[in-house]
Amino acid sequence: MPSLHSKKSIVWIQGITCNGDTHSFFNYPQMKNFAKNFEIIYHPLFITKYDLETILKSKDSYDYLIVEGSFTRVKKYINRRGHSFEEIIDNLSKKAQYIICAGSCASYGGIFMARDIKNISGALYSGEKMEGYWDKNKKVINIPGCPLHPKWLVDTLFALKQNKTVLLDEFLRPKEIYSYFVHHGCLRNEYFEWKIDTKNFGEKEGCLFYEQGCRGPMTHTNCNKILWNEVSSKTRAGSPCLGCTEPDFPRDNIYETKKHMSLPATPAGVSKRAYYSVTGIAKSFKIDRLEKKLI
Amino acid sequence: MTITKEIIERIEGEATLELEWKKDKISYAKIKFLNYRAIEDILKNKYLLDALMITPRVCGICSHAHVNATINAIENCYENSGVIINLTDKAKKIRELVMNAEKIQSHIKWFYFSILPELFKIKKEKFVLTEPFEDKEWFEAQNALKDIIKMGSIFSGQWPHGSYVMIGGVTCDPLQSDISNAQNFLSNVYEFCEERLFGCSINEFLEIDSVNNLLDSNSTLSIAVTNMREMEFNKIGKSYDRFISFGNYQNIDIPMKSIKTRPHKANIKFAEESLENSFFENKKSAFTYSKSAKYKNDFYEVGSLARLMISKDQLIRDCHRRCADSVISRIIARVKETAILLERSKYLLETIDINQKSLQTPKNIKKYITAEGMGVVEAARGTLIHRVHVKDGKIMHFDIIPPTVWNLGNGNPSNPSIAQKAIIGLDSIEKADFVFKSFDICSVCTTQ
Repeated sequence: MPSLHSKKSIVWIQGITCNGDTHSFFNYPQMKNFAKNFEIIYHPLFITKYDLETILKSKDSYDYLIVEGSFTRVKKYINRRGHSFEEIIDNLSKKAQYIICAGSCASYGGIFMARDIKNISGALYSGEKMEGYWDKNKKVINIPGCPLHPKWLVDTLFALKQNKTVLLDEFLRPKEIYSYFVHHGCLRNEYFEWKIDTKNFGEKEGCLFYEQGCRGPMTHTNCNKILWNEVSSKTRAGSPCLGCTEPDFPRDNIYETKKHMSLPATPAGVSKRAYYSVTGIAKSFKIDRLEKKLI
Repeated sequence: MTITKEIIERIEGEATLELEWKKDKISYAKIKFLNYRAIEDILKNKYLLDALMITPRVCGICSHAHVNATINAIENCYENSGVIINLTDKAKKIRELVMNAEKIQSHIKWFYFSILPELFKIKKEKFVLTEPFEDKEWFEAQNALKDIIKMGSIFSGQWPHGSYVMIGGVTCDPLQSDISNAQNFLSNVYEFCEERLFGCSINEFLEIDSVNNLLDSNSTLSIAVTNMREMEFNKIGKSYDRFISFGNYQNIDIPMKSIKTRPHKANIKFAEESLENSFFENKKSAFTYSKSAKYKNDFYEVGSLARLMISKDQLIRDCHRRCADSVISRIIARVKETAILLERSKYLLETIDINQKSLQTPKNIKKYITAEGMGVVEAARGTLIHRVHVKDGKIMHFDIIPPTVWNLGNGNPSNPSIAQKAIIGLDSIEKADFVFKSFDICSVCTTQ
């Protein structure tokens, strides 16, 4: 059993990326404690113990391979020190105990998949389909989000380090994080309950689900539980959830709620009949307090 | 003549310098960016507002500069269709404040995570102050950039990749307690910068008007500058001494250029993107995915140094008198601008009137418009331009001209680009690497 105080080693590599997951990681609030427990032995953006060539040539194993960015076998799409992504990932993935897909690009293909949907994907998924870079790979844990929240990544690393079982959902996402919805903890919940939509962007009052395209009730993750940058979230800042942790991200026409027969989609796991019945009843009440400005 | 290839790492992405040598000096340099993600193509046929979600993903370190350039371009489309866009003072201030947070973060991160370690790597010394994940000051710097991002995120919801702007304003509706909270985080960053980076109070630092006085302070900046002077870095990295900026900052609200120390008005209609040397031109001689930006066929430097030369900053003018547009001037300019942005952010927080509307939806606004528009902002690395052509509500064409194509494009041997000119004549790969990095390379923005 490894000591809890010995550092675990991390190799961080990038596929097709915007570097957003790296910059999100640098906002991690307890970086000193992270550094006591983990060592990033290679990262492309800053000086680390080893360079890419050394890591590729070495036969030594390490604990976690963090992959940021979409996967591809097309050589001209990604070139790192003259190596294709395929050369890098095939080499490094074999030497890692776990492969952590950091962000939606590495998990499902993400925003850059639109360039060439057949040849750009996530590690195991292409959107919702299990048609990713690998047919199977038991080492993979997906931590989607565009970008990922630094706590999602580091909490998962700590659980693995302490040999705890990390329960995963159908998209290989840690259940502790992705069993929640963005809707949970949203300050606009009461407006959702009584089906009162916001009159406009830029207001504290009203729900963004009915007109502005918010995906909070069907997007798995805990943004409104742990908050972004420890202070806020998209919905708290009046901006609709874009559903960025889901395999269908990015959707089209994001600032408009898609409707069928003038009714919005139902929250995850709720039957249409039940939801629309409740909606009709809720809407029949006129609650003055909720029609007024909060302050 | 010999040719060497040097892959430049530890930047935002990756680039390759192909250097030609004559008599132990670099006679020409080709700057190659070989990774390309086709974001401008991905934007085609998307609904216009979807660009607010897509363009921040161009770049993880300047996503809010992109979202602001996009909203400016979208609003300009409506203005060109006869719609009146009227932002409240509150909305303007929140847009600027959130961008300031990103810029300050970028400046601090570049100085501590890139410039200092690279400097001491060249000196082959272990630099005890800022060893990543080890030294006290590195953690303090990480804490400061996290705190400045918190200040911005109170209004943007998150960083990176917030989408806090909308036609007519911003989406948030802050309380006075949110403003106080933001002031607390800003105060933490002041404390760090005053104790470490500036070595004196921000007011004292802003009054420093000579490099010699700067060196008197017991600061990490003065340590860096002293070391660079010892290595004669005041002589390397000089380019054309031409500067330009098209976006608003401080008291400058019109496009301006400066030839050495003489500022003049500029006109954005003369800003053009060249495909010379790029694979998009489909020529055998092509070697990079990056385009180049020029003004009337001349290369101009953009970024903090350009902005402070144009605004006649006294410290930077003194620095320029001694070191011209060398790497030292570029580095001091970014730290000086950090102080200016902190003060500006303090002012913005003190003067945001929460009683004003966050967003005013323009009258007669139609979703399915046909128009063209342009949005310009000053990002950390310089002017960022978005141009969009929308037809029946869908994007036909989207053009992104990031700051790095102004600084890091390629010209030709008779008219080299800003970075090429700064590298030609150097006598070592280490110096070429450092000079190249003094422009703060963001390859993800450069090639999108």
